[in-house]
Amino acid sequence: MKYIGFLFVLVLTVGLGFLVSIPLGSIPPIAPLLDPFHGFWPNSQSEHELAQEELKLSNLSAPVTVVYDQNLIPHIFAENEADLYRAQGYVTAQHRLWQMDFQTMAAAGRISEIVGSVALDLDRITRRKGLAYGAELGLKHLQENDPQTYAMAEAYADGVNQYIDQLETAQLPVEYKILNYKPEHWSTYKSLLLLKYMSDMLVGDRDLEFSNLRKILGQEMLDKLFPAYPSQLDPVIESGKLWDFEPVAISKPDSIDYPSHPLVIDPLPQPAEGAGSNNWAVSGSKTKNGHPILSNDPHLGLNLPSLWYAMQLTTPEYSAKGATLPGALGVISGFNQNIAWGVTNATKDARDWYKITFQNQSRKAYKYGKEWKKTDFRIEEIKIKGQEAFLDTVVYTHYGPVVYDRSFGSDRQDVNFALKWTVHMGSNEQKTFMELNKAKNHSDYNEALNYYVAPAQNFVFASRSGDIAMRIQGKFPLKWEGQGKFFMDGADPRMEWQGYIPNEHNPSTLNPDRGFVSSANQHPTDQTYPYYVFDNSYEHYRNRRLNSRLAEMSAITVDDMKALQFDDYYTLASEALPVLMDLLADSTITDPKAKEYLASLKSWDFYADPNQKAPTLFHIWWEETHQHIWKEWKEFGAPVVKPNNFRTVELLKNEADSSVFDLKKTKQIEKAKDHVKIGFEMMLEKMKKWETEEGDYAWAAYKKTSIQHLVPQFSSFSVKNVYTGGGSGILNATSGRNGASWRLVVELGEQMNAFGIYPGGQSGNPGSKFYGNFIPIWANGEYVDFKFRTQDQTEGMLFKTILKD
Amino acid sequence: MRFILLLLVLAIATVLLNPFLQFWMMMIVIAVVSALSKVKPMAAFFAGGLGMGLVWLAMSMYLMMSTGSPLADRMGELMGIGNGIMLAGITSILGFLLGGFSALSGSTFRNIWRAKSKNIYRG
Repeated sequence: MKYIGFLFVLVLTVGLGFLVSIPLGSIPPIAPLLDPFHGFWPNSQSEHELAQEELKLSNLSAPVTVVYDQNLIPHIFAENEADLYRAQGYVTAQHRLWQMDFQTMAAAGRISEIVGSVALDLDRITRRKGLAYGAELGLKHLQENDPQTYAMAEAYADGVNQYIDQLETAQLPVEYKILNYKPEHWSTYKSLLLLKYMSDMLVGDRDLEFSNLRKILGQEMLDKLFPAYPSQLDPVIESGKLWDFEPVAISKPDSIDYPSHPLVIDPLPQPAEGAGSNNWAVSGSKTKNGHPILSNDPHLGLNLPSLWYAMQLTTPEYSAKGATLPGALGVISGFNQNIAWGVTNATKDARDWYKITFQNQSRKAYKYGKEWKKTDFRIEEIKIKGQEAFLDTVVYTHYGPVVYDRSFGSDRQDVNFALKWTVHMGSNEQKTFMELNKAKNHSDYNEALNYYVAPAQNFVFASRSGDIAMRIQGKFPLKWEGQGKFFMDGADPRMEWQGYIPNEHNPSTLNPDRGFVSSANQHPTDQTYPYYVFDNSYEHYRNRRLNSRLAEMSAITVDDMKALQFDDYYTLASEALPVLMDLLADSTITDPKAKEYLASLKSWDFYADPNQKAPTLFHIWWEETHQHIWKEWKEFGAPVVKPNNFRTVELLKNEADSSVFDLKKTKQIEKAKDHVKIGFEMMLEKMKKWETEEGDYAWAAYKKTSIQHLVPQFSSFSVKNVYTGGGSGILNATSGRNGASWRLVVELGEQMNAFGIYPGGQSGNPGSKFYGNFIPIWANGEYVDFKFRTQDQTEGMLFKTILKD
Repeated sequence: MRFILLLLVLAIATVLLNPFLQFWMMMIVIAVVSALSKVKPMAAFFAGGLGMGLVWLAMSMYLMMSTGSPLADRMGELMGIGNGIMLAGITSILGFLLGGFSALSGSTFRNIWRAKSKNIYRG
């Protein structure tokens, strides 16, 4: 009897122990998660509560000192670069390990390993775009051509890995505990993959949509609705700039046969609208103190842990400070003792699609001119949590990978398009940033930029010696007029890119007469630039606001530049609202609510501040009107893009009676005013619903800016409804999910006077005090001090750690 | 008296060893200590349960209170069980069950052995 009693209890105990140690459906193993010594509880501690005076880091040539300021910004003091980057890897991993690991898993198409088959399609598309393939080529390029950079990247990886190997379960980032997996070792390859991931985030193309539109609308209407240059062009490089080079000749084929299949495949996911950035530098002649001031605010998806991580990196030769990308070496946007630099996206249709004609079902060869060219097969093994691995065969042509084929993304057997993209070319972007970190002057900056391929950026520059400069850098294909705007026939060798624009021919400017340089993702140059330039995503609003403000400002201070980064002036509204009001004037408005709204709009100063109500009214009215004008385009049965806001406003203003406003499927002939009226009525309807359900319609309450954890399901790790102004197309580009992901202002005087902020915090741990402590400061348009620190400065110090062997 | 002693020993063992041992290793420790004690099964169950459960409660409350961290509340929300206090409660119940059943296993194992030894003693 006692045996049975014991066995019964034993089975019960072992059963209980087993049950709480395995995942049940989507619920992670409960005991390891709740165990207060190893589970999530220890993650409640902030970094300063765990601070140690000394930590072991092997392979250093001398001890490295890390001083944390009160915001947990590490200041690394190392004797040489190899030690510096080893320490950068180690320190970054201490605070951001999960994020680094997760982002590169995403870039490699390996999310299914963590979350299971729900991510399979995402992983397949990531792999079919060839991000990992591009990183492999990058690694080979680095090993063969730049052993110095490779050695530094290896040191960084070693730093990360030493941290991973020392990591105790209690301090393992909480996301690993919830998702029940372990960190993987870092490598140089992963650092390169991260930069490919940035490309993927920033670069899109609309070749599919334009191919469809060309077929549906015809070339003439397409050119009318999508002009290559807008009427109020205000490009990155000042208009009137003289190009002092002889352009490379490009031959355009006499006749072009575009593939004319109706294309009903889904386009690749595109970068989010509102992903853009501002940067500028003003020369000493325009500033109060006579020193140049440089500003940069890249706009990206607002996420936690933040994409950026602030650091100071110091060796006896130089000090660099600013925003780093966890996983990449050096400072990406920042300054050193001599210069400051910043980046904005400079996309220029870097992706093109070629139709592939396979010889037969085996897909071993494809037509190219008169011959058949051989393909390569790349087998992608996608591991899936709790299931067998999925094998995906991707066909590679000399153009690049065939993204859509019979096994993926298409109902049509004959849809085979190869993607040609600069991201697939061996390149060394990492070196650019490492060289910028120690650059002393304009020629060092130019030299550093020569290594940079993708994603193309507008690199702003200022130096303590008084220079300001801007250069648009990337590897840009030589294209004839119109090339790559539509899908091309891959069997026709005349469709090939004819080489690349030499770096010296990339648009750039140094100390222009106007006393400032600036960029906001708009057209790079005016029409005099001798190479073909096209992209559908060029900005039409922020650039004009920025340049007109910079032109009229004088005796500029750092505070003026901060205010300009936080400028809420809604240029679209200032141009569109008067047109909407005019076109609505004919209608008789009797509804008291409608009258109230109109009165509110009439008295509006066009600032999209968080407490204003008019921006909400305008925004809805405009969106509804725009939707309604192009509503029949949704019924084309194929993916297309709509004419942008700028062109639509122009048409409303100048061609109100034009046939472009007529909806073909209705009996009557619509004109601009009909759409505006319907847009207004829709706005009334939406507002009624909003006021009943949500009440307050002040701009911040309406746009609901939220900073989302990288795993959207972890909603309690996100910060929602941040009270802040701005929006898409506004200098303060903070919309619902996008906005200034980092703001930097540097005055280049005797001492660098610098300020920075980003919507997040230095710690990636949702339990830490430093997880989101920057958010309220950021939302108010305020900054934290980013001046250099010295090694022995104790003022404002949180703690200090020595890393040694 | 023996009950109190066992409870204290198990609680101290948890405080000292749990930082280094996974929860299932702690279960073995608790079972072995209970088997070595002369506490009866039902009492052992409560000694083990309270020993581990109270330490888990104290530790989780301590981490929550001393750091002022929002993590417990965020985890509670994520797991759909309200706030951090609730989660500390659930943590301690889990600790109680694991500790209790481990101690019960140890104690019932000793019972088998004790029965045998009694026979030998008498015989």
